[in-house]
Amino acid sequence: MNKHVKNLAPETTDLSRRSFLVGTAATGLVLGYAGSGIDQALAAPAPANFEPSVWYAIAPDGLVTVTCGKADMGQHVASTMAQIVAEELGANWKDMRVQLASNDPKFNDPVLGAQITGGSWSTMMNFDAMSRAGAAGRIALTEAAAASMGVPAGELVVRDSKISHPKSKKSMSFAEVVKSGKATKTFTADDLKAIKLKSPDQYTMIGVSVPQLDIPLKVNGTAKYGIDVMLPGMVYGALVTPPVRYGATVKSVDDSAAKKVPGFIKAVTLDDKTTTTTGWVVAVANTYANAKKAAAALKIDYDGGPNAKLSSESLLTEAKRLQGLSDSGQFFVKDGDPNAAFGTAAKVLEAEYTTNINIHAPMEPMNATAEFKGDILHIYSGNQFATRSGAIAAGAAGIDPKFVVMHQMWLGGGFGRRLDADMMVPAVQAAKAVGKPVKVIYTRENDMTMDFSRPLTYQKVKAGVDGDGKLVALSHDVVSAWPTQRWGIPDFLSPSVDKKGPLDAFTVNGSDFFYTVPNHYVRAIKNEMAHNATPSGQLRSVAPGWTFWAVESMVDEIAHATGKDPALLRVELLDGKGKNDGGAQRLRNTLLAAMGLAGYGTKKLPKGEGMGVACVSSQERATASWTACVAHVAVAPSGEVTVKKLTVATDVGTQVNPDGIRAQVEGAALWGMSLALFEKATLKDGGIEQTNFDSYTPLRMSQLPEVAVNVIANGEKATGVGEPAVTVVAPAIGNAVFNAVGARVRGLPITAEAVKAAMKA
Amino acid sequence: MPNLNINGRNMSVEAANDTPLLWVIREQLQMTGTKFGCGAGLCGACTVHLNGEAVRSCQTSLADAVGKKITTIEGLSAKGEHPLQKAWVAEQVPQCGYCQSGQIMQAAALLSKNTNPTKEEVVAHMDGNLCRCMTYSRIQKAIMRAASDMRTASATGSERRAT
Repeated sequence: MNKHVKNLAPETTDLSRRSFLVGTAATGLVLGYAGSGIDQALAAPAPANFEPSVWYAIAPDGLVTVTCGKADMGQHVASTMAQIVAEELGANWKDMRVQLASNDPKFNDPVLGAQITGGSWSTMMNFDAMSRAGAAGRIALTEAAAASMGVPAGELVVRDSKISHPKSKKSMSFAEVVKSGKATKTFTADDLKAIKLKSPDQYTMIGVSVPQLDIPLKVNGTAKYGIDVMLPGMVYGALVTPPVRYGATVKSVDDSAAKKVPGFIKAVTLDDKTTTTTGWVVAVANTYANAKKAAAALKIDYDGGPNAKLSSESLLTEAKRLQGLSDSGQFFVKDGDPNAAFGTAAKVLEAEYTTNINIHAPMEPMNATAEFKGDILHIYSGNQFATRSGAIAAGAAGIDPKFVVMHQMWLGGGFGRRLDADMMVPAVQAAKAVGKPVKVIYTRENDMTMDFSRPLTYQKVKAGVDGDGKLVALSHDVVSAWPTQRWGIPDFLSPSVDKKGPLDAFTVNGSDFFYTVPNHYVRAIKNEMAHNATPSGQLRSVAPGWTFWAVESMVDEIAHATGKDPALLRVELLDGKGKNDGGAQRLRNTLLAAMGLAGYGTKKLPKGEGMGVACVSSQERATASWTACVAHVAVAPSGEVTVKKLTVATDVGTQVNPDGIRAQVEGAALWGMSLALFEKATLKDGGIEQTNFDSYTPLRMSQLPEVAVNVIANGEKATGVGEPAVTVVAPAIGNAVFNAVGARVRGLPITAEAVKAAMKA
Repeated sequence: MPNLNINGRNMSVEAANDTPLLWVIREQLQMTGTKFGCGAGLCGACTVHLNGEAVRSCQTSLADAVGKKITTIEGLSAKGEHPLQKAWVAEQVPQCGYCQSGQIMQAAALLSKNTNPTKEEVVAHMDGNLCRCMTYSRIQKAIMRAASDMRTASATGSERRAT
């Protein structure tokens, strides 16, 4: 057990599988902290501050600064943490400030025991800890105020950063209490646990759309992202990456032409023992423009390595071969006996579903700045996984991870891309080679061709229906690269049901849905070829982005094959029996809400238009938000799909900031649409063919449909909202296309050509 | 040493004539509000104004900018109170925020000529600016809000002049 795992985990949530993620000493990823006074971002506060918790400090001027240990990539999580603290603390929102944490383990996630931001986990896993931290501060301030005023603490009222005694009309501001120096109470973990938190009916801050604290910085150019870091004496690195995504080696570097570029300092060939990168060279110069010129002037001879001939087609062929083997993969779900049930089923359906490679492409290209200062390696970069990235930086430098300080910055988009640490390697090795701080900035071309992409996936689904039209058996094979296994952290893997060793559940999450199907198998099959050729990563929503594409398409196919309404078949399957009790009912209710809001089944649509539904329990069974979508599309005779409206309903239990949730859900739904229709990357000769936004084409404003987001907050515990709506949109659109023109498309993205071909079929 | 007129100030810079204006602004002048996104004029993150026109600073050479009035997000208004910036806060537009300097500069060029744009005109003008967080609907709303505020302000201004 990781000693940093706090005892504040919400006990009702089953998070046991990942409650000690990174602590295992054997992984070598436990980060020590390099001592006090080295981190400028978190320099020791003036002694007059009141710090009831590691999570915030109250200054004598009354300003409350919350330190956010989660990466803020636009989900406003720092603001959300401040809002949860402010609720229990009783602070006025205008007094709240945020700062971003360093990689000091004291800022580790209280449930995860590491600094990692993903999975739409942050709010659900930090709600309790931030609430207790806020309450502890309120209690301490109240007791100090009671002593100063000479009144019983129990008679005091805390509101808007003020503590008042209604009987005597005395009052003190937080600032005055902090200045008095009397707020000194400390809390043990048991004390914190014993605090009685507010009940939801007492909330005055949770559930209010207060303005996000980071937004003012983002409209005047002052928000500092990793790419904006400037250090004295800093020089710049531009990358030359090989034509092959992974596995190439540098045979020789001729820098004779680069030497003629003014300001050129050195070409550094990476020696990456962390195996994060292969065949990368950094051209270092006094400016980035000169570094780029020098990079272009380098003549590099490569050995393409073992993947140099591979293409998307080869990865798909290999996936099909693996799926065809009876003994490949491991079981993620094994209920009943689908194969026996298929033998007696009245009808059996089989279908293959595919997704292509997808690229994160956050607007801020990958970058990192490295500086060696004495024994300490300082890294400045916006990163989603400081615990591991610090260890990778240490590995690149050949030092102990405890000597690495990660300075967190605002992230110019994350989407899972910044869980990876590749940018650490060139920055660290270039800084070491030239003896100066170096900022390495990827070109968009580096960023796209070296993405840790969403993998190409192949899924085969077989369904058996009995004589009454009841779904009695489903077998589901999922073949992909294994993005999480690549991290090399055993605690991130899950045991297989058939005890054939650990599997990467982040390739099959979602397939363990809340439908009642008595005979149900899910097999997770690793495509080793894809794993090696296209090192994959976690792309916003991860596995549910492909598993629900298959499941929710197949459920529709079953409905049409049995003459049922696809939405009503889902309602029937969400009967809440056995292990699905609770979740199934919430998902059913959400689906019904979306149907009602969209006018599903009541609106008469013109020819060529249709509505389709999907509903999902993304991200994982244990951390689900309940999300449903009705997509309304128009399909042209050419096969071109226009999305007219997406109606999304999502049950998030408790909403901290309703406006922030709507922004996240809308963004996620549009990501889902972009992946469904516009985004496709391909591998050829071992390299990603798309290099910039002319060939990899996320949704633009002119493609924006009407999006209606409806949030259900029914008082259950807060769930995550950053990702789930990504996963529900592609199947809803695919199902809508079928309802519009009878074309069933089983591959993402849904192209006009594929729709047209399916219309003819 | 070329001289640049940027945000109303004259500043001398040291860089080759073919250096993209983007990197001169960011590195030499250390104004980092203007962002690098694609280096190819495909995303709009680096948008600045040259003599009031929105241009991609990654596609503009230093030589092309000499002798012209350059405006960046830092200079759009003295205190960050351009109607668009206020509208961006009111509509809570930014998520990651990285593209938003470029979005605001692109929108400002439109509203400087037309404070009553149709939705179609807004889309046509803004379609070259990518937002990977997909905040497009809020961007549209904020532009319409700012346009409306500018019309109100100018109407009030004319009334005042009239009286």
